[in-house]
Amino acid sequence: MQGDKHFHDSWPPVRGDYEVGDAGSHVAVVTLASRIFPRGSAICGPCKTENLGIEKIVANVISNCNIRFIIICGAESRGHLPGDTIMALHRNGIDEQGRIIGSKGAIPFIQNLQPEAILRFQQQVEIIDHRGLEDIAQIEELIGRYSRLKEPYPFEPFQAVKSRPQRKMVSTGCGDLSLGCGTVMDTSAWLVMQDTCEVNVAAGG
Amino acid sequence: MFRFGREQSVVNIAGVKIGGQPGELPTALCGTIFYQGHRIVQDEERGLFDQARAERLIGRQEELSEETGCPAVLHLYARSIQAMEKYLDFSDGIWKGPLIIDSADSATRAGAARLTTELGYADRTVYNSLSLATAEEEAEAIRDSDIDSAVILAYNPAKPGVEGSIELLETGSQVLDRGLLPRAAELGLKNLLIDPGAMPLGSGAGAALRFSVVAKSRLGLPVGSGIHNAVSAWPWLAAKDKTTKQCCDAAASAMQLLSAADFLLYGPIESAEFIFPAAAMADILVAEAVAGLEVEPAAWHPANRLV
Repeated sequence: MQGDKHFHDSWPPVRGDYEVGDAGSHVAVVTLASRIFPRGSAICGPCKTENLGIEKIVANVISNCNIRFIIICGAESRGHLPGDTIMALHRNGIDEQGRIIGSKGAIPFIQNLQPEAILRFQQQVEIIDHRGLEDIAQIEELIGRYSRLKEPYPFEPFQAVKSRPQRKMVSTGCGDLSLGCGTVMDTSAWLVMQDTCEVNVAAGG
Repeated sequence: MFRFGREQSVVNIAGVKIGGQPGELPTALCGTIFYQGHRIVQDEERGLFDQARAERLIGRQEELSEETGCPAVLHLYARSIQAMEKYLDFSDGIWKGPLIIDSADSATRAGAARLTTELGYADRTVYNSLSLATAEEEAEAIRDSDIDSAVILAYNPAKPGVEGSIELLETGSQVLDRGLLPRAAELGLKNLLIDPGAMPLGSGAGAALRFSVVAKSRLGLPVGSGIHNAVSAWPWLAAKDKTTKQCCDAAASAMQLLSAADFLLYGPIESAEFIFPAAAMADILVAEAVAGLEVEPAAWHPANRLV
């Protein structure tokens, strides 16, 4: 932690469509499909998707211990339902496949956050549901009200690490260029094909 | 620019042929109209819009298609079934080619499948899309409709990347009890357009390029993507000027075509102005790259029109 700031200098760690305000504020604001930017929060921005957009919110919130509330407001994004999905994630977490339990969104999955990040999100912040509210003055009033209610979260900022695929050796079989999934290319003939060499060898062919 | 050992199927939707070996058929270019935030739409819920401007946009896409040889597809996006009805009624008067019906709302998509069947448009309609998110109620609407063409969205959030998308198509991966391809067959879908679901840059956008090659090699089906989404979702680019954004959009489209795509969901129909020339150029380059490899461009291919 950087002294009493409760966040690192590089905060917020994940780029996106948002505005950073007072990083010491206890409130983050998600305006769903509405492009409105009320003042006074630590970070404020829209969220239109029920998977990648929510991952960014979680990563940017748990890396700043000052943030204790997320106000969800603005118009829900039809079909995707990110507002419903944020609340489901906070309430229920994810299953083994990464599906957000209980979300009504179209494809509600978390793929780039470790389970500890979800747990931290559930413990650090409280969700304040004001879906449908687009009046900036009323949202700013809510920000002011919740900003005074809690102390910073008493642990280190959590840096959510993006999972990266492991490097692995890839056989090119009959071809000399591999494209994965058993697909190879013989560049001398400029021919892309499914690799059958290993199967033939195994079968004695 | 590749040549595939597996036979490459060609679908024919309202006279537009999509698929085949790279360099054989020109790329089908699908421009979206009435999309979320489209300035010509005054009321997304009721489907009120500026008809004169819509007609000009559709007409311009058609002109560019005729000039280049790249076939056009009209991608209709609607927020509600009421709006979809208006859009279909309007487009019928001015567009006779393939239509993609699309909405973020599953009930609207299902309603659109019924509507196009009732109106007699099903044979030129492409359902967008059959995916992981297609619930039984929506699947029933597809099965009960006369639509037999669909975009198959191979986005697999539980296993992102090429392997996960292929698994979702073939077996359902770990998230569906069967693959999207067998499910499509059960629903009566025959003309399948495979789309990996382009991700933002930094989240795996490039996988769409390798996926196209792998999917055509393994499945022999027409493949494409909405690679423009990777460009439009790039925060760094958002602050740049219009020309810079258009250059990136055209470049991404050309890269997708170089990676064996048969169709492009190129985004806002206004982009037709620069996407058609970029795609036609990429089609010519690919055709010339495979010349001498027993692949001949079709008579209407840009290679036989523009050079």
